[in-house]
Amino acid sequence: MEQFLLVYADIVIHKGYKMRYSFVVALLLALGASSLSAEITTIRCEDSTLMPQNVQCAPNQFLRKDSKILVTVVGQGVAPSNTISPAQAYALAKRAAIADGYRILAEKVRGVEVEGQDIIKNMMVQNSTVKTQVEALIKDANVIETVFKDGLCEVEMEMMLLHSDFSR
Amino acid sequence: MLALEAKEYLVSYRVVVKDSYLYNDYLKISKAMSGCSGVESQTIHLKNNGFDDLKQLVNENLWEFVTYLDRIGLHVKSYGKTTNLTNKNTTILELRTHCFKVDFNDTFATITAINTEGF
Repeated sequence: MEQFLLVYADIVIHKGYKMRYSFVVALLLALGASSLSAEITTIRCEDSTLMPQNVQCAPNQFLRKDSKILVTVVGQGVAPSNTISPAQAYALAKRAAIADGYRILAEKVRGVEVEGQDIIKNMMVQNSTVKTQVEALIKDANVIETVFKDGLCEVEMEMMLLHSDFSR
Repeated sequence: MLALEAKEYLVSYRVVVKDSYLYNDYLKISKAMSGCSGVESQTIHLKNNGFDDLKQLVNENLWEFVTYLDRIGLHVKSYGKTTNLTNKNTTILELRTHCFKVDFNDTFATITAINTEGF
């Protein structure tokens, strides 16, 4: 329930309804008062002065003027079994892992289009389909670390987002 | 600064990854039939064993060249489909046909990407 409310709160903030936001926090407190009283809940918010004492704002991730954000992701690729040498398997797995890293970077920076469809018949789910799609141009992404173990290659990639890249 | 007699090549690169497996990748290199106009951007220096052709040069330094293409910028397209909790994903990385000027020397070669409008 708490998770659901946090997600909902996030959506409300994006749409800018501050009044509704306070309503959601009040609902959150009412439903989980006993558990929340002992710990501090961290959520994303625009104005920390409006928050109750046990709710604090997460660090701001907006790309403001003259600022930068470092985006770090880990891509994974699997070595195929029909290679002629371990070196070839490593190279192919690393390439797949880099492509996966690019996908995650694109998803983080550009966002994902999501389309879902559930077919329900006689109160039972017959088919559930979720389609996701992303398209982006990624420049200056760097591979920081590569780990190859048990046929799985993991690459850590990072990319610096500068405000000036978007303000031209 | 490139030499006046630097050769011009068109390069395109495409990688297809399906469900975390590398499905297909190709690198196409051809000599430019007409001169490329644009702004010089990123440069790489590769070891050269007396070659005067980009294909031969790239064959000797494939990984370095592909990493260089990554730095220039790749178009990413990704499609995912989850049906009844089974996930399938296809990711395509693509360098659309891009012009490069290559300056061959005896021991090294300088490759410079030429940015045309719209990239």
